[in-house]
Amino acid sequence: MTRDRHAYRAWAIAALGVLALAAAPWVIGEGAQRFLSEAMLMLAMAQMWNLLAGYAGLVSMGQQVFVGLGAYCLFFASISLKVAPFWVLPLAPLLCAAVAAIVALFMFRLREAYFAIGTWVFSEVVSLLVSKTERLGGERGIGLPTARLVDPRWLEPLTFWLSAAIAVASVFGTYALLRSRVGLGLMTVRDNEVAAAGIGVDVWRNRFIAFVVAAAGCGLAGAVNFTATLYVAPGFAFDPNWVVAMMIIVIIGGIGTLEGPILGVIIYFALREALTVVFGLSAGWYLIGLGLVAIAAILFEPDGLWPLVRGRLGGDWLSVRREPPAPLRMTAAAPAAADAATSSPRGLGATRE
Amino acid sequence: MIWVETIINGVLYGGLYGLLGVGLALIVGVMRVVNLSHGEFIVLSAFIGVSLIGVVPWLHPLALLLPVAAIAFVLGFGLQAVLINRVVTRPDPFAAILLTFGVAVVVRNLMVEVYGADPRHLQAGQLAQASAGIGGLHIGVLPLLILALSVALFTALQLLLTRTRFGRIVRATADHRDVVRLMGVNPGRVYNLVMGLSLALASVAGMLLAIRASFTPYSGVERLLIAFEVVVLGGLGTFWGAMLGGITLGVAELVGLRLDPNAGPLYAHLLFLVGVLLRPSGLFRVRA
Repeated sequence: MTRDRHAYRAWAIAALGVLALAAAPWVIGEGAQRFLSEAMLMLAMAQMWNLLAGYAGLVSMGQQVFVGLGAYCLFFASISLKVAPFWVLPLAPLLCAAVAAIVALFMFRLREAYFAIGTWVFSEVVSLLVSKTERLGGERGIGLPTARLVDPRWLEPLTFWLSAAIAVASVFGTYALLRSRVGLGLMTVRDNEVAAAGIGVDVWRNRFIAFVVAAAGCGLAGAVNFTATLYVAPGFAFDPNWVVAMMIIVIIGGIGTLEGPILGVIIYFALREALTVVFGLSAGWYLIGLGLVAIAAILFEPDGLWPLVRGRLGGDWLSVRREPPAPLRMTAAAPAAADAATSSPRGLGATRE
Repeated sequence: MIWVETIINGVLYGGLYGLLGVGLALIVGVMRVVNLSHGEFIVLSAFIGVSLIGVVPWLHPLALLLPVAAIAFVLGFGLQAVLINRVVTRPDPFAAILLTFGVAVVVRNLMVEVYGADPRHLQAGQLAQASAGIGGLHIGVLPLLILALSVALFTALQLLLTRTRFGRIVRATADHRDVVRLMGVNPGRVYNLVMGLSLALASVAGMLLAIRASFTPYSGVERLLIAFEVVVLGGLGTFWGAMLGGITLGVAELVGLRLDPNAGPLYAHLLFLVGVLLRPSGLFRVRA
């Protein structure tokens, strides 16, 4: 089967990629490591937003709240317990998952755009509360003195490996989640909510799991991101530009595909470097450019660029599509028909309708 | 006495918030789309006002309301005709949300590049300081004028939608986009006019808000959230619901600021979250 060959190729590329990431700190300089860490954490966040918007039908405009909460959780725990920041890293996703579980109870009463802005308002409230809390540094923010407990030679490589691990986990974790019963339920809900509820899919429960997972992922990525900068303030941690970046990356790459955010992150950072470093434009113009690209994508390529690239490359890559059951009567035409069914971009496929 | 004054000022301020929200309520009611660039256009109209003042410095900002509203109408008409009408008929409800979010990012950063990130303010001269003493209370003349203008605009909008042929067409389009086509109505053109009207109302609110408080290109987010909260809290079926929602938020914000001077819009946001928690069933019934 060609599907198997493509699957092997994807796994081989993935294995080589993991090896390259593990070896990278010995090969590339600190600047390149920092740049790649940032890109990989951004990929993880975009993948979480993609899980919500592309699979669970939840467009969250307040996802930055978990980025910020993760960062503050890490800073607060590390400073209070006087331990190196990496030891308390698991607390960040746990706190974010707990907050998301509570928030979901009332935010899920809102639908579509109402949910989008409801989560945004929640994020603003948390940001304002943190700005008013002197123990968390108020509006000025706090530094991370406990970073000195880590050997400075290992700080950058450790951040790099953590970022790489989070990025890889975000892609394959989402893959595993979507291949599971929960994922099948989510996609059924996305494609037809009424029909899904009719065959007994628990719409609320599946969305709840996706929301909690996405919050934990964003919290983890946010915590590592601000460990690298050694400083956090409400204006940076709860910046709506986090969700702007997640959204633009997912839309350009391809919403509702696992490969889309990877492609989107590459385009996003390539454009950023090209516009700000090569042409020397300010961050404002770069965001204008990205916004225009996103608008063009929504108007002319609503599925993003990944379907076009996949068409060139061929194969299934990280498709979470399932094989339909084999036809009962095997005739000469049946294998061809089955093949046509599996290579169709629609059906149970990951491609957004 | 200070509390009575605070609440009266909150009501006056809230009328302005209602005006921020009513344009958004119109869009949501007619085309089931939340325009996420609503806040950016509110701020943009204030910047247009600042630019016009630069050209004719002897003119009072209130005299500029009409020209700015006209410019905003054209912008809204164009935004709808060129961009949003292309996605509004898609079955995917997120296309329009994401598109307007993209527009918001572009407009916000264009304003940063053109006008800079410094806080701006529209000067209203002596009118801004004038106050009237009623029974021992000091009430600003300008806030009173603003509330009167808001009420006048609300009434005009209500009459436009319920008593005129245009209003009938808008309401019919909101109810059955496909059926009105049979009657010779082009829904796209109705949408263009409605979006123009929405941003014209938003521009008046944006100018008045710029007289009362300073703004930066980044103020759009806060304006959008307030406008949206007005729509959701006031989703009672009429535009007067939006007015009530605005007044509730205005009072909450000013009372909050009295208790806690650096709270910003925190208490308005908290009130909204509590409202969502207590009355979720009323939140989805937003009709023109």
